[in-house]
Amino acid sequence: MPRDVTMPQLGMAQDAGKIVAWLKAPGDAVTKGDALFEVETDKATMEVEAQASGYLTGVTAGEGEDVPVGAVIAQISDSADDNAKIQQLTVIKDEKDELPIGNSVTMPQLGMAQDTGLLVNWLKSPGDAVTADDLLFEVETDKSTMEVSAGFDGYLAATLAEAGQEVPVGAHVAIISAEKPDNPVTRSVASPPPSKPAAETPAAAPTKAPPKPATPVPVPTGGRILTSPKARRLAREQGLDLALLVKAGHPQPFHVADLDALRAISEKTQMPTATAAAMSLTAGIASDGFADFAPWAAANGLTDADALLAGLAGASLTAPCVVAIARFGQQHSYAVPADRSLSAITQTDSAADLILRDLRGTALRSVTLGAADVPVLTLMSAAQGLTITLECTPAQLDAPAAIQLLTTFADRMEHPLHHLL
Amino acid sequence: MREITLSQAVNEAIAEEMRRDPTVFIMGEDVAEAGTPFKVLSGLVEEFGTARVIDTPISEPGFVGLAVGAAMTGARPIVDLMFGDFIYLVMDQLCNQAAKQHYMSGGKLSVPMVLRTNMGATRRSAAQHSQSLQALVAHIPGLKVAMPSSAYEAKGLMKTAIRDNNPVVIFEDKLMYQDKAPVPEEEYLIPFGVANIKRTGTDITFIATSSMVQVAEKAADILAKEGISAEVIDPRTIVPLDEATLIESVRKTSRAIVIDEGHQSYGVTAEIASRLNEKAFYHLDAPVLRMGAMDVPVPFSPALEDVTVPTPETVAANARRLCAGEMIDAA
Repeated sequence: MPRDVTMPQLGMAQDAGKIVAWLKAPGDAVTKGDALFEVETDKATMEVEAQASGYLTGVTAGEGEDVPVGAVIAQISDSADDNAKIQQLTVIKDEKDELPIGNSVTMPQLGMAQDTGLLVNWLKSPGDAVTADDLLFEVETDKSTMEVSAGFDGYLAATLAEAGQEVPVGAHVAIISAEKPDNPVTRSVASPPPSKPAAETPAAAPTKAPPKPATPVPVPTGGRILTSPKARRLAREQGLDLALLVKAGHPQPFHVADLDALRAISEKTQMPTATAAAMSLTAGIASDGFADFAPWAAANGLTDADALLAGLAGASLTAPCVVAIARFGQQHSYAVPADRSLSAITQTDSAADLILRDLRGTALRSVTLGAADVPVLTLMSAAQGLTITLECTPAQLDAPAAIQLLTTFADRMEHPLHHLL
Repeated sequence: MREITLSQAVNEAIAEEMRRDPTVFIMGEDVAEAGTPFKVLSGLVEEFGTARVIDTPISEPGFVGLAVGAAMTGARPIVDLMFGDFIYLVMDQLCNQAAKQHYMSGGKLSVPMVLRTNMGATRRSAAQHSQSLQALVAHIPGLKVAMPSSAYEAKGLMKTAIRDNNPVVIFEDKLMYQDKAPVPEEEYLIPFGVANIKRTGTDITFIATSSMVQVAEKAADILAKEGISAEVIDPRTIVPLDEATLIESVRKTSRAIVIDEGHQSYGVTAEIASRLNEKAFYHLDAPVLRMGAMDVPVPFSPALEDVTVPTPETVAANARRLCAGEMIDAA
């Protein structure tokens, strides 16, 4: 069988070589090891030896030509007159049993996105004489069924796929030999062509979000919810419960893209229980320290008791802030400055960050009114001292912040002087 | 802008610095008349003579030690190590001497030396001439490590390296010497520790070094056709590392693949992936993947060698899996 003669790489920085001279002429018999041609690189001129024995044929590069490293410049063939074009002569080797020598016919690509073709049936039998124009086999693609011609004159020496098989584009389907074959070979495609990953076939319309695998594999999780760190963080920040996705049978692990589905589920399930999600905390103090503090402060120039009340509440939240005091259906807002100074509190029309509902003069002893737009503190008289309730949503204050607010405020109401100290 | 090869860019950088500063000289095996086996230094000996372009005997520990001493006493040597694989021979001079003199002398000595060498497989050079050993030196405090990804970077980083007062190791990919890129005629330097965002994207970040930058860019091209938008970042120096740019990108895309041609285990990719894990954990929507060379000696067989390194196809395939939210595990 013919062996290619290529331009060797003789230096590390060399990408082409100049053929100085051919030392054999086309048709000459050569023996493996014979000097075949002379190459000049930037370093030196060297003789290149034949790597096989036979006859020099198919010389494509002449003396004086620069040839890229690796390019085929000739062949060493079994006979001197074998000057067939290099590309047409394809030899197929197989370990199992020798295939006949000849031109190979491959599965054509009939559509742009086609990667296999279904061989519907053979129109010639192994051993038949064929001409280049004879129809050889029939192929079905996703678009149509077409007949494929032999392309070479000769004999159908081998069929390498059976009717009904999917053959990858470019795979060898048949061999057409020049000589009538003694034992035509019949084979089938050894294994089904590997199914290409879906993403490799151009999608009809590329979408921004890559699709989830169609059939997600259930993953054993051992009770833990498998979630990407980012999805877990976003779910927590947005008050979304990942367990709802688990209940809905959504495949794990969860990623940010899955939060859309979670949001849809959450909206459905959370509607009726919106108020139940609100937090309600109650504190009791043994004495209303503020009742004694207000007259003392008034004597020292701080005459607006509601401003003082707003100051104590605001100082327990995050100053500066605006606190509204609500009493008997009336509401006044006070701006509490960053330094929390009780003498610098002023009335304001700004929206409140916190409402302090004063029910001390009423008969009410306990309230659950649900969350409002801002956290609400409610003051009520108790048998002894005061009861203080805080109502808010987790979005307004998380649990630690709510506890902190109520404890600090309760302490300030019981011991207003603590605030001054 | 004119285009020149990476090889010419390195040559220009060294020639310019040798003209600018008479204390700069270069030495190594076959650097003078031969201009190195890759022809990178051709022409230098003609201009600067054999006193500043010095052919050494084949004794890597000897001439790297010589360079450390020269650097400590006022010269700015560039040492040419013919193959990156020979780093094993000079480990003591490089890692015990060059890297530590400044620290151990209380700042009285410094070693302004550049060791230029190469890396990169798929040249059919077999296991002892194909390794990418940047992780070995990046591990040692006191050494800076630059990895140019094109002729432009090769020139700018080399000039910065020569002017740096610390030992710098530059790894050039030996397959890229003939690759051309636009390089300005006028002088420029590329600062160390400043990553280059080669391409912006929104779905995944590829952090790639040296020739893997080209691989990452080709993978990004493939993915763009499928609607996946990949950002490609070249850190340019792995020591110092521009962590801020990498983290900022990953916070945006929430996915990352780190690609470097060194062996994957205990390598450059592992270090960068680990930092992203530590500092961008709550912004990650998928595990950070490492892609390095297989943990095998580089095969001589071309068919085998080609599958040991990351390719645009393998990078794109991994990116698809991450973007699709597939479970990535040891299997």
